[in-house]
Amino acid sequence: MRNLRLPGFALAIPAWAWLATFFIAPVGIVFWYSFGYKPGLFGTHANDRLSFDRYLEVLTPTFFDTFVATLWIALAGTALCLVIGGPVAYWMAVKAPPAWRGLLLALVLVPFWTNFLVRTIGWQVILAPEGWASQAAQAIGLPPFDILYTRAAVLLGVVYNYLPLMILPLYVAFDRVGESLREASRDLGANRLRTFWRVTLPLARPGIIVGVLLVYIPLMGDYITATVLGGAKGNMVGQMVAAQFQTAQNWALGSAMAVTLIIVIVLSASIIGALLWLVSWPVRRANRVVLDEVSS
Amino acid sequence: MSVTPNRIRRPLLDRLLPVWAVVVFAFLFAPIIVIIVYSFNTGRLLSSFTSVGVESFLALFEKPVLMDAVMVSLRTGAIAAVLATLLGTLAGIALARRAGKWTAWFVGLLVLVSVTPEIVDAISLLPWLVFLGQDLGLAIFNDGTVRLVVGHSLFSVAVVSYIVRARLVGLPANLEEASADLYAPPLRTFRKITLPLAMPAVLAGLLLSFTFSLDNTIVSSFVQVSGATPWPVYVLSALRGGLRPEIAAVSTIMLVLTLLALAVVAIVLRRAGDSSTQIARTIAGG
Repeated sequence: MRNLRLPGFALAIPAWAWLATFFIAPVGIVFWYSFGYKPGLFGTHANDRLSFDRYLEVLTPTFFDTFVATLWIALAGTALCLVIGGPVAYWMAVKAPPAWRGLLLALVLVPFWTNFLVRTIGWQVILAPEGWASQAAQAIGLPPFDILYTRAAVLLGVVYNYLPLMILPLYVAFDRVGESLREASRDLGANRLRTFWRVTLPLARPGIIVGVLLVYIPLMGDYITATVLGGAKGNMVGQMVAAQFQTAQNWALGSAMAVTLIIVIVLSASIIGALLWLVSWPVRRANRVVLDEVSS
Repeated sequence: MSVTPNRIRRPLLDRLLPVWAVVVFAFLFAPIIVIIVYSFNTGRLLSSFTSVGVESFLALFEKPVLMDAVMVSLRTGAIAAVLATLLGTLAGIALARRAGKWTAWFVGLLVLVSVTPEIVDAISLLPWLVFLGQDLGLAIFNDGTVRLVVGHSLFSVAVVSYIVRARLVGLPANLEEASADLYAPPLRTFRKITLPLAMPAVLAGLLLSFTFSLDNTIVSSFVQVSGATPWPVYVLSALRGGLRPEIAAVSTIMLVLTLLALAVVAIVLRRAGDSSTQIARTIAGG
């Protein structure tokens, strides 16, 4: 490769050109639209007067409440995925018999490779108040299900849809820590809990951050799950943006919402990543103290 | 001191973890099993089970719309996957082997592409494709398959680039250097050394891109042209007018096909010497 006279980025040019044409240019235009306005009933956008008015409109309660609701669903969904998926990933990577691991990974992947929309419809069938699951619950004396088309159903749906995306990187992270370091920790007298907190968890941290972001980012933009399971109550920002383009025909406002959504995602994802990084500080400091005690 | 609680905690935790795993796996499979069972429903509506039968599977042959939607999805998926893998592999190799000042900018672009929600791609692509196709007269962008491929490729290009880069960064460039020292022309080194080294990541990227494309609902529903409706958009529109069991039947068939494809890739990767963990690592992009 060294005597190749092309510049280093030559191989990246096709991808760059493709993304410039079909990502930078169109998203750039949407950015431009967001400073315009909707001219009259039949126009979709105009840019002869530029202002931040559309952004101010996004911040009015009508639209801003949806941003807050979306943020809440995304944060709660990501936290639940971590709490539910974390122990499973840990068990798969550390406790389960090594011979099973390939199969277990394949099992985690199966829902991941089943159509997103169809999986969600499966939940719609399960949660239906007249469905068999609800009837079975009534047979043992429980009340019939009434969570379909509520916020709770949306939360269940997003946790379900994004759980494999959490388990996979966590599995890789726990697996990477390796048996030898844990053994060393135990040989040096740490009990299992201490080994987990001081060795396994800090070393798995990058994988935990990857998993959290991998779930959080697509969840913020998703609205299909909310449409199928939340009905009118499951309004998400994505739906609101789509409605501005498809029904309200207000491209200027829709563009401002889209740009705001990107900004909210980038900012909140950075904050989450930074927080997860900082949380481990006390742990690392504690480790240093332990090492000092050992050496003195 | 800590021996007693430790001894109690240990077997309890060891027993609780697998139980929890079983519960979570049951959760992951519940709706899939429901869909498979309900695909044998002979009733008119998917959600009300009447009796067991295979009528819904026959609908695939009786209703050309169903078959057409599946074929559009498969065709788009294949083209989008090959395209994204081609672009992403080249970019990933450049990122891993020819890093320089340009890398930060390019990675920045890839990050931006991957954090941009699908709905934003959707609303920005629609006017842009209309502009290219009608105002500039580039007739190719009026074609349904081309529009879907463009929309589906964006996220996948970024993902394939990451995966290929991650794979090659983990492997030192010794072999390529040796090959160059032995006077192999650059193209030959690329074909005989770099590409085989990157192969597991390339395959994982291809598979991921294909399934991303099959799953893509939001961008598809915006950019699609009537007559080339992909499967998820068909399901989404059916959702509004009452779901029929044939939707479940088609999904069951597609699930079986995806599982077969997955098994083939797993076998290929295993042959290439990757352990299950490495396969997962490749697929997870780490």
